[in-house]
Amino acid sequence: MSDPALLATIALVAPAAAALLLALVPPLRHRGAPAAFVCIAGTLVSFGAAIGLLVGRAPGAEEVRVVVPWLQAGGRTIAEVGVLVDGISSVMLAVVTLVALCVQVFSVGYMHDETRRGYGRYFAYHALFLFSMNLLVVAPNLLQFFAGWELVGLASYLLIGFYFAKPSAARAAVKAFWMTKLADMGFLVALLVLFVTTGSFEWTAVPTTAVATAVTLLLFLGVMGKSAQFPLHVWLPDAMEGPTPVSALLHAATMVAAGVFLVVRAHPLFELAPTTGDVMLWVGAVTAAFAACLALVQTDIKKVLAYSTCSQLGYMVAALGAGSAFAGFFHLGTHAFFKALLFLAAGSVIHAVHSNDLADMGGLRRKIPLTAATFGIGALSLAGVPGLAGFFSKDLVLTQVEGRAGWIPWALLMASAFLTAFYMGRVFIKAFLGAPSAKAEHAHEPGLAMTGPLVLLAVPSVIAGLFGGTLAHFVGAEYHTHFGLTPILASAMALGGLAMAGLVFGRGREVALMRTLRSLDSGSVVDRSWEFLYRRVMLGVSGVLGWFDRYVIDGLMNLTGYATLESGSAVRTLQTGRVRDYALAVVVGAILLSLFGVLR
Amino acid sequence: MTLANCILLASLLFSIGVYGLLTRRQAVAMLLCVELMLNAANIVFVSFAHFRGGPGQIFAIFALAITVAEVAVGLALVLLLYRKHGDTAIDLASETKG
Repeated sequence: MSDPALLATIALVAPAAAALLLALVPPLRHRGAPAAFVCIAGTLVSFGAAIGLLVGRAPGAEEVRVVVPWLQAGGRTIAEVGVLVDGISSVMLAVVTLVALCVQVFSVGYMHDETRRGYGRYFAYHALFLFSMNLLVVAPNLLQFFAGWELVGLASYLLIGFYFAKPSAARAAVKAFWMTKLADMGFLVALLVLFVTTGSFEWTAVPTTAVATAVTLLLFLGVMGKSAQFPLHVWLPDAMEGPTPVSALLHAATMVAAGVFLVVRAHPLFELAPTTGDVMLWVGAVTAAFAACLALVQTDIKKVLAYSTCSQLGYMVAALGAGSAFAGFFHLGTHAFFKALLFLAAGSVIHAVHSNDLADMGGLRRKIPLTAATFGIGALSLAGVPGLAGFFSKDLVLTQVEGRAGWIPWALLMASAFLTAFYMGRVFIKAFLGAPSAKAEHAHEPGLAMTGPLVLLAVPSVIAGLFGGTLAHFVGAEYHTHFGLTPILASAMALGGLAMAGLVFGRGREVALMRTLRSLDSGSVVDRSWEFLYRRVMLGVSGVLGWFDRYVIDGLMNLTGYATLESGSAVRTLQTGRVRDYALAVVVGAILLSLFGVLR
Repeated sequence: MTLANCILLASLLFSIGVYGLLTRRQAVAMLLCVELMLNAANIVFVSFAHFRGGPGQIFAIFALAITVAEVAVGLALVLLLYRKHGDTAIDLASETKG
């Protein structure tokens, strides 16, 4: 086994071993603290391997692919498992393990008040998640990717429902599960179509254009579910019921980005299907604008970030739709850092004031200055202030969609950029500036376990953008910084949005638009239409099918049984049990037989 | 002694057996009647063998052997019936009513 493959395998096996150990040795899990140790040790090993992979890999080097046969049938290998190490997967592996490491260390402080058992369970789920995520990142074919994809879905379900005694958390977990499963049906069918038409699950499979379009559209359905694209985004805001570090890791930085990663991975396939690209461009742009609008009116600090995640995923999807896998991937990377930072900082705020509500915050700048500073850095980066990480990747996305589909997606994304700066300004002002609320009076900075990851993540949130060229060189893509309409306009949008937020919210006012949006949000139109679909349409169809099954299919079965029973009980009266009746029957029978013989 | 007389005798014997089988209530009597019917058949076998030739006598011997077996089983059943009910009236054995 060659060296990169070995490192990738270590990155894969370490969290798997941690998860298995925590699952199979209950005392370890029940004691709490050892579970955190095991989980973080696994992540650390995984992170080390990923860094080794990144450092040891020459830019533009050949991909390393080591596989073992998995499914064998009919004398041939249907699928393989193994690792695929190339520029994309090694970068992704490093990002995922770094964010996971920060989040897990942060969790040590954040989850401190949990019961010991809850604490252990939490870290066991985390180890499972990291293994699943790495499994899909290094997947050498679509089938292994799908296995990882479903496993992260499971980990997400378990972690959203971590506070399962709380009805809203349990409901959110189920909702997330079935919304993503609904979308995953697309993925599953895509796999089947691809296998039937090309006979393989490889990333490099080359079907005809029609098949490619069908497969990529179906895959994109799965992406829409996992990456929370409109109208399948409804599970993501509800997923904020989970612990905040979980939101940072799964529902902001890594898992939801798996959808984007899938498209980046399957780019050869998506390139064959321009129609899918157009669909993605529109879906991404609409999601970005729609979610940015909703982020504006949320009162829960985590929900603002959740909608913001939806919106940023929209950017990535739009970039992918415009045919630039690199722009999507770049934004994925920078977004992972600053969104994880924002969520962890929000976690620190929630930890300090014991509330998610923006109304309970305010004036936290003086109480928790480090959290305020790091949140500010994340917010500026997300808003796309020139020089920070978010600016470069967002600018690249905007440049890529320039002129596409009559400039409309471009305009939508540009407007979203303004809104992003505007709502991030709002959150920052409401939470950290102004007069402190009653709850904010007693806030204090958390311990090193929580502040350390914040500082650590703040660094790439600032500088990651500068490595765009290196990254492009590394994965073999083109990247040039340039000055033109888009970057200037994007900078103006970012700064304008922040300034506007300062003007409006700094003085405690609101925009008229927000009232409309708030009523739209409380009306939760999309949620309701899904509910309608579920309750009326799906349950209706199920009812009809159930009736058919119960009365027609089962009816035939029951009729057969009933007829047998009835004819049996009709015939049983012949069995009188009296010997003389039988004797008579024998005699009569003999007479009839002899008559038959004579008269024939 | 002619063949016709022999067949007549056998028919009479058989008819008596059938009549007895259908009218008697005691299991032993019914068994005896079955014996009569079997012997009627045996008479037909040996008469035809006597007047016409052929292997009829062999069949008669076989039938006798079978009869013995039948009686052994039949009497065993009657004995059980008696032990269970203290009587051998055949109507007592009606457990197989459906």
